[in-house]
Amino acid sequence: MHQKVTISVADDAIDRIDEVVAALESGGLHVEQVLRPIGVITGTVEGQQVQALGGVSGVSAVEPQCTVQLPPPDSDVQ
Amino acid sequence: MVGARTAGADLTGRYLLVLNEDLVDDYDRARAAVQDLCGEEVTSTRDTPLPGPPAQATLFAELGVAVADLSAAQLAAARTDRRLLGVEPERVLRAIDGSLSEEYLRGFRDAAQFLHGQVAGAAAVTPAQFGDTAELTWGLQATGVADAPETGAGITVAVLDTGLDLGHPDFAGRDIEARSFVEGQTAQDVQGHGTHVTGTACGALAPAGGRRYGIAHEARILVGKVLGDDGSGTDADILAGISWAISAGARVISMSLGADVREVSTAYEAAGRRALAAGSLIVAAAGNNARRRAGNPGFVGVPANSPSIMAVGAVDTALAIADFSAASSTVDGGQVDIAGPGVDVFSSWPRPRSTNTISGTSMATPHVAGIAALWSQRTGATGQQLWAQLVQAAQRLPLPASDVGSGLVRAPGA
Repeated sequence: MHQKVTISVADDAIDRIDEVVAALESGGLHVEQVLRPIGVITGTVEGQQVQALGGVSGVSAVEPQCTVQLPPPDSDVQ
Repeated sequence: MVGARTAGADLTGRYLLVLNEDLVDDYDRARAAVQDLCGEEVTSTRDTPLPGPPAQATLFAELGVAVADLSAAQLAAARTDRRLLGVEPERVLRAIDGSLSEEYLRGFRDAAQFLHGQVAGAAAVTPAQFGDTAELTWGLQATGVADAPETGAGITVAVLDTGLDLGHPDFAGRDIEARSFVEGQTAQDVQGHGTHVTGTACGALAPAGGRRYGIAHEARILVGKVLGDDGSGTDADILAGISWAISAGARVISMSLGADVREVSTAYEAAGRRALAAGSLIVAAAGNNARRRAGNPGFVGVPANSPSIMAVGAVDTALAIADFSAASSTVDGGQVDIAGPGVDVFSSWPRPRSTNTISGTSMATPHVAGIAALWSQRTGATGQQLWAQLVQAAQRLPLPASDVGSGLVRAPGA
């Protein structure tokens, strides 16, 4: 089961974000975006490999992606 | 806040010119600026010997403040001068003696009435009651936007939402960069939400269809479509939008979106923190999950609950908390930081409808974003410093800080 995740890169690893990306890829992450200005990486991973990504050097958090949903445009409160 | 005081006896007729920070450290430029603005010789506290009673403009060099007589034209010019933080009438201050002023007694009466109302449990006090006029929405009146000389010129504001109706006549001729992060969809707004919030933050000074609803009417606008035509969006698209907005030089990033999740997201907090460090302030809607009349205060959700993202609550036309406006939660960062007008907000909407009046913390958020652009234009502040200016300038309200943070967002010079 594929899971979409966001991965936050630690402050002290921002300068070597490419190394972190490479390590995540070998850990099973299919990288979709490397958002350098905010130090966040997005991608998909097989469910059982998620936990291991958290142990990659330079990673501060691995979180499942969420979805936001606005109310319908005709609702009074938006 | 400076009220509409008409008592001429309280004012000397002269003005205080408050110099920008960078001039305070540069005496020659400070003196030249004051001379330039007043059109006359300046005496200074650095002159030796010290001048006598000031017959002309006086610069208090250590304070970065000058006192001067100004003609109406000079006053108008000074109010828009970037070298100044502000211009205000000089007041006569008196020690409090036995004779209580009418103003003091009025304040005492209001406070007593307020307390009586609370004890009596009735709405005995009728505080401010705003309404749209032919010229202005109530929100722009309540936040003092019409009184601010700033326009947002030179400031980039990013709005991350459902896009914008790019052909809307109220945005004709504007400096707009639009980008869609939603696969298979353009930045054109069909949902409506994005056009409404962009209208509040950055809409026109004189829209074709009636009253003014837009704040930073000369700002450059970054339209980031991170929510699809169905109103939904993923973290990946929203974070990509934030990343793009920072790279494109946004001073302010407005996000009228969120999820009812109590726990702080590390990714959004990292984004908020790194945005501040790069000079971009992110403001986000606190959320609409309260049902206050039913006893449910709700809670601030993701991403507004990130400590480094400013959470915006909503007040109504009486400056009371909106029924739906989420209260602070106990998680670190889960507090409401500031409030904006968020009930019965009139703004732009995709054609052919062109305008719409709706409510939500989504509508309060772009009021804060637009006003942040005005502050940044006035003071040059960015990031954390801009955050501090907004909360410092906010009008305190007789409401719990857990609902409205430091109070109602307030435009510079208002």
